[in-house]
Amino acid sequence: MRISLLGVITFLVIVLVNLPFLIIIPSSFTAAGYLAFPPEGFSTKWYAMILDRPEFIDSFWTSIELAVLTAVIATLLGTLAAFALHKYRFPGSGVINSLLLSPLTVPTLIIGIAALLFFTRIGIAGTFAGLLLSHILISIPYVVRLVLTGLSSFDYTLEKAGYMLGASPFRVFWDITLPLLRPAIISGMIFSFLTSFDNVTVSLFLVAPDTTTLPLAIFSYMQEVLDPLVASISSVVILLSLVFIVLLEKVYGLERLFGLNSQSH
Amino acid sequence: MSKRLAIILLTAPALIVLLGVFIIPMLMMFLLSFQNDQQSFTLENYALFFQDTFYLEILGRTIRVSLWTVLATLVLGYPVAMFMSKATGRMRGIVTMCILAPHLISVVIRNFGWVVVLGESGWINKTLMALGIIDEPLRLLYNELGIVIGLTDAFIAYMVLAIATSLYSIDPSLHKAASILGASRIRTFFSVTLPLSLPGIVAGTTLVFSLSMSSFVTPQLMGGTSVKVIPVLAYEQIMSTLNWPLGSALAFLLLGSTILLVTLYTKLIENKRYKEVFSS
Repeated sequence: MRISLLGVITFLVIVLVNLPFLIIIPSSFTAAGYLAFPPEGFSTKWYAMILDRPEFIDSFWTSIELAVLTAVIATLLGTLAAFALHKYRFPGSGVINSLLLSPLTVPTLIIGIAALLFFTRIGIAGTFAGLLLSHILISIPYVVRLVLTGLSSFDYTLEKAGYMLGASPFRVFWDITLPLLRPAIISGMIFSFLTSFDNVTVSLFLVAPDTTTLPLAIFSYMQEVLDPLVASISSVVILLSLVFIVLLEKVYGLERLFGLNSQSH
Repeated sequence: MSKRLAIILLTAPALIVLLGVFIIPMLMMFLLSFQNDQQSFTLENYALFFQDTFYLEILGRTIRVSLWTVLATLVLGYPVAMFMSKATGRMRGIVTMCILAPHLISVVIRNFGWVVVLGESGWINKTLMALGIIDEPLRLLYNELGIVIGLTDAFIAYMVLAIATSLYSIDPSLHKAASILGASRIRTFFSVTLPLSLPGIVAGTTLVFSLSMSSFVTPQLMGGTSVKVIPVLAYEQIMSTLNWPLGSALAFLLLGSTILLVTLYTKLIENKRYKEVFSS
């Protein structure tokens, strides 16, 4: 391919958006006691240090638990709702559809503040349940959108064929509907997981004083100290996120996920 | 099972979450923003905003930082989108992956990387000083520039996606027609490509502007304590000062001014020269 100006700019932008990772990962292997790039010497001591930090280990497990539960519940609720919206076109389904997508139009900062105010009133502020509910809320719109997209090409005659052959509604759903929607549902689940796992702005208002999530723990720590420990924890998170991103790409495709129509493939 | 029952059973769980975690809390927050300490109705939380220049200055900074971010993401993002629209399937896939994948990794971590790069003894300053280009380290962080760099990195993917989507839908024969009629490549760009990609530009700029206006993490981490924006101020009112009515009012003022500016902007553009692009 001919080297063009566009190509050069594109390459530079790619380097820019990936620069944070290209800096963080090498920095985490420094032997020095302070952050430096390029790193000085080689050591894995900053990874060993993570294990001595209960706040990071605990918040890591809190984040995982939260993200898994969010992914499962948001996907379940979102899929059921999307299914109803698509299968039964009823008066008001348009309203319900836009209601379900509406959290996307409000900044997460405001969602966080509103949830804090209300949860304080009903007494679940600072509980894991409150935190989980808010993460489910911000994930549902993505699931609804993904599953609706999946359903738009769904062929209902396949379901009809199942009924005609004598299958029960449950059997039809389990053996026909679900497998056809699997890519949309799985990517909804992975996307919900990442939405929850990365979230700071909503969690900020809802975590309990003694339990925190990993991104929030990093957020708080790096406002106090900037040392290679932040780099080593961040590297762990980057790696874990990458696994899920690759999964997402394999199952659904990032282009499709972000709504890029790639008809010209 | 009747159809109505099925609809209720399937949508109720999601709607209950929506109602209990979003709609009722938002209404409560809105009502709270009109309350004083005696819990009676007042407009003073909103009035304060217009009386005290402190708040207006911070709103001004929030808007300024967001506009710079829009400009930076547009200038950097447009060529990327153009490259993607011209690339072959495989190349396009690789570029898309390289732009979108970082977007799915926590913004806290990306900001941390930038802090390491841009700090006083960071990589850029150390390199420039070693080369003898500068004597004093440049201040790239803990000011408005730092916030703009962080936000540009955080939101450029949205801009690229919005523009690429509109570029993909341009009929390639238009470019051919332009060149047959003797238009230069620059002329073709300004008379064909750019006007037809305007809906994408409007979508991208609107989205990046709204996201920048309400972002909290990046300004907090890369703007430092003295360079505040409205979301940081609202956070402090809610979590430190514990003045919930004022914090709520600030949040709604932010939302209101964002919607107002975006509406003005889209009206202005759509009414002007390119009406036909948007009506199609």
